[in-house]
Amino acid sequence: MYLSKGQIEHESYDSIVDECIEKHGEFLIAILQDIQKRYNYIPEDAMRKLAKKLGITLRDVYGVASFYKAFSFTPKGKHVVTTCTGTACHVRGSSKIVDAFSNELGIKPGETTKDLMFTHETAACLGCCAIGPVVVVDGDYLPKVKTTAIRKIIDGTKRGAAILEEEDQRIFPIQVVCPQCNHSLMKPEHLVDNYPCIHVTISFKRKHGWLRLSSLYGSFNIESEHDIPVDTEVNFFCPHCHAELVGSSTCPECSAPMILMLVTNGGNIQICSRRGCKGHILDI
Amino acid sequence: MPEDKTPCLVFSAGTCGQASGANDIIRLAKRYILEKKLHDQIHLRITGCLGFCEIEPLILIEPDNYIYPGINAGDVADIIDATIKGEVIEELFYREDGSNMKYPTAKDIPFIRNQTQLLLENNQKLDPIRIFNYISTGGYAGFEKVISNPDPDGIINEIKEAELRGRGGAGFPTGLKWEIAKKAGGNSLQKYLVCNADEGDPGAYMDRNLLEGNPHSIIEGMIIAGIAIGADKGFIYVRAEYPLAIKHASIARRQAYDLGILGKNILESQIDFDLEIIRGAGAFVCGEETALIKSIEGEMAHPKQRPPYPVNQGIWGYPTCINNVETLANVPVIIGKGAREYKKVGIPGSRGTKIFSLVGKIKNTGLVEVPFGTTLREIVYKIGGGPQGDARLKAIQTGGPSGGCIPEKMFDLPIDYDSLNKAGSIMGSGGMIVMDEHTCMVDIARYFTKFLQEESCGKCSTCREGTQRITDIVTNITQGRGKSEDLKLLEELGQVMKDASMCGLGQTAANPLLATLKYFKEEYIEHIEKKTCRAVVCKEIISSPCQFSCPIDTEVSVYVALIAHKRYEEALEIIKKENPFASVLARVCHHPCESWCKAGEGGDPIAIRDLKRFVTDYGIKHKLCQTTEPVKKTNGIKIAIVGSGPSGLTCGFYLAKKGYEVTVFEKEKVIGGMLAMGIPEYRLPREILEYDLNYIRSAGIEIKTNTALGKDFTIDSLFEQGYKALFLATGSHKSLNLGIKDEHVEGVLPGMKALASLNLGEKIDLGKRVGIIGGGNTAVDAARRILRAEASESVAMVDAARRVLRTTTPESVTIFYRRTIDEIPAYEEEVEGAQEEGITIEFLTAPKRIIAENGKLKACEFLRMKLGEVDESGRRRPIPIRGSEFIVELDTLIVSISESPDISFLQDTGLEFSKWGTVVIDPGTCLTKREGVFAGGDLVTGPNTVVNAVASGKIAAESIEQYVSGKEIKREYKITRPSRYIEPVEFSEDQMAELLTAGRSRMPTLSPEKRKYNLIEVCQGLPEELATQEAKRCLRCELETEEGKLFLDKLQENKPLTEVQK
Repeated sequence: MYLSKGQIEHESYDSIVDECIEKHGEFLIAILQDIQKRYNYIPEDAMRKLAKKLGITLRDVYGVASFYKAFSFTPKGKHVVTTCTGTACHVRGSSKIVDAFSNELGIKPGETTKDLMFTHETAACLGCCAIGPVVVVDGDYLPKVKTTAIRKIIDGTKRGAAILEEEDQRIFPIQVVCPQCNHSLMKPEHLVDNYPCIHVTISFKRKHGWLRLSSLYGSFNIESEHDIPVDTEVNFFCPHCHAELVGSSTCPECSAPMILMLVTNGGNIQICSRRGCKGHILDI
Repeated sequence: MPEDKTPCLVFSAGTCGQASGANDIIRLAKRYILEKKLHDQIHLRITGCLGFCEIEPLILIEPDNYIYPGINAGDVADIIDATIKGEVIEELFYREDGSNMKYPTAKDIPFIRNQTQLLLENNQKLDPIRIFNYISTGGYAGFEKVISNPDPDGIINEIKEAELRGRGGAGFPTGLKWEIAKKAGGNSLQKYLVCNADEGDPGAYMDRNLLEGNPHSIIEGMIIAGIAIGADKGFIYVRAEYPLAIKHASIARRQAYDLGILGKNILESQIDFDLEIIRGAGAFVCGEETALIKSIEGEMAHPKQRPPYPVNQGIWGYPTCINNVETLANVPVIIGKGAREYKKVGIPGSRGTKIFSLVGKIKNTGLVEVPFGTTLREIVYKIGGGPQGDARLKAIQTGGPSGGCIPEKMFDLPIDYDSLNKAGSIMGSGGMIVMDEHTCMVDIARYFTKFLQEESCGKCSTCREGTQRITDIVTNITQGRGKSEDLKLLEELGQVMKDASMCGLGQTAANPLLATLKYFKEEYIEHIEKKTCRAVVCKEIISSPCQFSCPIDTEVSVYVALIAHKRYEEALEIIKKENPFASVLARVCHHPCESWCKAGEGGDPIAIRDLKRFVTDYGIKHKLCQTTEPVKKTNGIKIAIVGSGPSGLTCGFYLAKKGYEVTVFEKEKVIGGMLAMGIPEYRLPREILEYDLNYIRSAGIEIKTNTALGKDFTIDSLFEQGYKALFLATGSHKSLNLGIKDEHVEGVLPGMKALASLNLGEKIDLGKRVGIIGGGNTAVDAARRILRAEASESVAMVDAARRVLRTTTPESVTIFYRRTIDEIPAYEEEVEGAQEEGITIEFLTAPKRIIAENGKLKACEFLRMKLGEVDESGRRRPIPIRGSEFIVELDTLIVSISESPDISFLQDTGLEFSKWGTVVIDPGTCLTKREGVFAGGDLVTGPNTVVNAVASGKIAAESIEQYVSGKEIKREYKITRPSRYIEPVEFSEDQMAELLTAGRSRMPTLSPEKRKYNLIEVCQGLPEELATQEAKRCLRCELETEEGKLFLDKLQENKPLTEVQK
């Protein structure tokens, strides 16, 4: 998903800038935050487009973007390691953690490795002061980090710590039924992640078809009759009674409607209906 | 509501809980419940942070509130099973470090028990992403009360009566602010309410906790505030660094909209209130209210001149009331309970509670909610559990970068807005960062000024330039380049910034600097004048902590690196350069280098002393550096040294090397002082001592034994004989008395005398049962030496006639010590060794009475003790337990509580003595009050370590040379640096991985059976393979200074290209 500079130059920023303006109105900082999220940095051309569309000068946009630390004018790496240098972490030796990352990655704080794999950052305080020194790797918080662990952290991140491991006790299969007709939604003859899948029918943008979900709690693997573009909200239906599987709440991550299924051993599971969102709630 | 008896597992899953692994624990619990179909028998609740972050991940079990702290994945199933059966798992209960006392429930744990939680206690009852959870526990009741009968003045009066003050730091009365906001601009104008959650103070995170754990209470507080001031639009400005807080606040907002609690015409009341959540973009200055407004408007966050205040002219020019998260969290509590009830907590002027984040160098870290008026000491010791490990606390930093620090001696200060201001700090948002002796206060000042320099928005020059200048100056000081006039300049700069900056950031930017200057000026002076950082933090001053902490400046990291390269002879030269007692100290040094070793922070410190032993043993084996080259011709200047211990001989050695004619006078028949008389042979074989003594003798010094000061000569007579200067190093050999009756009867012996007699091979009659009082090295040495009383390898015992009169080994040897094994001052390995050899140590025991019969010891009566509060020495004071007396029959009682110098022969010689009976000197030069007379070693410090004695000998040698050559006697202080840099050993990936997990190499030791009754050295030395392996574990801290990095860069340049590429 991380675009190289060359690729970006060929892209038009129009639609994305429009989208962001539509979403946030005149909140310039929020617009910039969205652009940054999208491209992993703030491209100059996007700033030009933005200034034009908002009817302000480029200087205004650049001023704001350069004032706040959250914005970067160069692309960030695939992985971002952020070391907290708040006071509590400082007195527990976070400056040595920063040095250790600099040594291991060969870059200074604020820089990105040439291969765009790692960005090495510091943060003033991440608010986890009781368990410092704290390092955040791609959104995962690591408590009480020691200098001797830095190499391990980098290696683990490179390998992709999130890879499903067979032994991982945290990943487990669940069985679900339709909340309307109580008919099982499991399809033992089709395996996803080597487990019987959950089989439903779906519709989105005038397309209808089947969808098979991994029954492993914690896996987001699916198979689908149609390619579902990222960010599309999808309607789910029971293949037996054809009732819509819709919950009463919205996704905690993105506020799209939630899909509701009952878990056979008790409780229910809700998953986000938006493709690409990992929002889910397992209630017991 | 009928009480639900089903137990409920509560998971504390705020950001810090999740960081500690709470999410995994939750998943495992869900999995287990699903697999075992237990959902009818147990409930789950995932909450925000419960505050005791140190012990996360934790599970709390309602209704009894049992707490299982720090649990592992494997514990989850057991906890669920036990809970369903109505049982508990005692082994998993909370315990304090080093104690076996278990605390089953939340209200038993001191950290929680000693708090008053008005706000935080709700977190346990709430799943923050479920609004009905909040409502069913009484949430939105205050909102209901207000919305059904909107009475803005009533609300404002209630808040005023509650004396609520802003929790963001300044403490402005909230009721008054609301009143002004209500009146501002009349009723028709647009008004805004802002919840300031831009919690930028590093070290404070209570706002994050409240937003994460109880977001609806903030929304409720905001709606009530909105109604009170007439604002129909609110903003929560959250910093982007708090993703979970943003998520929970956003969910809460959406749910409130869905239920019609937010939006237009709320619950048919004709009242509108809309809420936006604004994500900050990383600028500390946004915590300042005018800057925050700019940021909401989408501009650069430059503060504005006040007045006009935001409450009159804020966002887009409209009246804007800005309140802190914690302030707003108090609002529903006040409206719900009523001001009168609320006011019962706290003290006049500061009502209610305040949440602090207690973090840093303290045992229990986490969020702490206490009433105003609680003292810092109560928070630190009763709730925080005191310091981590043995380190003494130094100060508490409050108020973040705008605050200051409160030194330990002021911990009895009750906390409220005004008292902290008076002490030179501020309440701030409530960060409390505890600092101990490993925290350098100059480095802390540098940290804050650098932080502020980076965060200064740059609008006004006093702040922009001022923060830059003070950062430069303080950084210089931390790098050993400070000048004495810097301190005055810093004070001046600080004052100007205070007076002339526009916004709060600039006005308070100098606070951390000024507060540390006020309370810790001596640390600044040490950095500037002595090039010392007592906390061993400032890298450019200390280079490597091992070399820095070595009293004799041994280049530890250099010789360790040489060992890693197997260049042993060079390593030996490096050691001997600074140390004439190399082989001795390789065995008996108390190795401060290892205590400060950075490898020890994440694992085991490098076994530095054992490495030195390996090299010195290698030198002995291969006959390297056995002697030193004496000077060809002396300069004819005579120097007298009194005492042939490590201090005296070191001084003599270095003076002789410089060409002086040195004579050492020794009272005893043997030389070496405590090394010969105090330290037993099984720790320091006499041939090893002889080896070093020969090396020292080879420098060309004359030693006269059996010649005592006060008997055979006097200070005056030495000067008359033409000695130009004198160095007194007569040691500290007099054992202190217990101060109880019958202490001088036959059978009671002073520890030093007993030890010296045994070491010198003199006969003493010990009898069958020996008791030793004390816990120092002398006590333990005496005990272990007594076990070996019959052994006869002593070189001092070559006199065959004495062998006949040999002392017999007693049947039992017991040490009585008044504190516990955690406080015992003797070296850990010695205490362990003694216990292995069958010596009993009775801890928490103190003597009460000596029972004598016919002028001879018969028994001793002891009292049991318990540990009380921490005393001056930083250890817990032993307190006698009444009625615990018991009698132990003894043939010999050795009193070894401490020693002091014998100064009887120094009276009326023009010297000055301290109240401990030691000679007063200038520690920088060893100069006494009498011209030409210098003193060092235990004589000036009381009982101390060998390496410190050697160090004072070295200092004295320098000073004596300056004195006799007519120069000013002044010690030159330099920053620590090695004399040469050694290239690092190259490792393969595999070797590196192995080293990362490798523990400390351990020396083989003789088994207790093999060593118990003889004088053979207990520790056998590291074999070569283990020694090089150990040396490779060194982290090479000396290469991290600018100079060290330069060396590495050069090394890189000079390498062939292929190797660099590798």
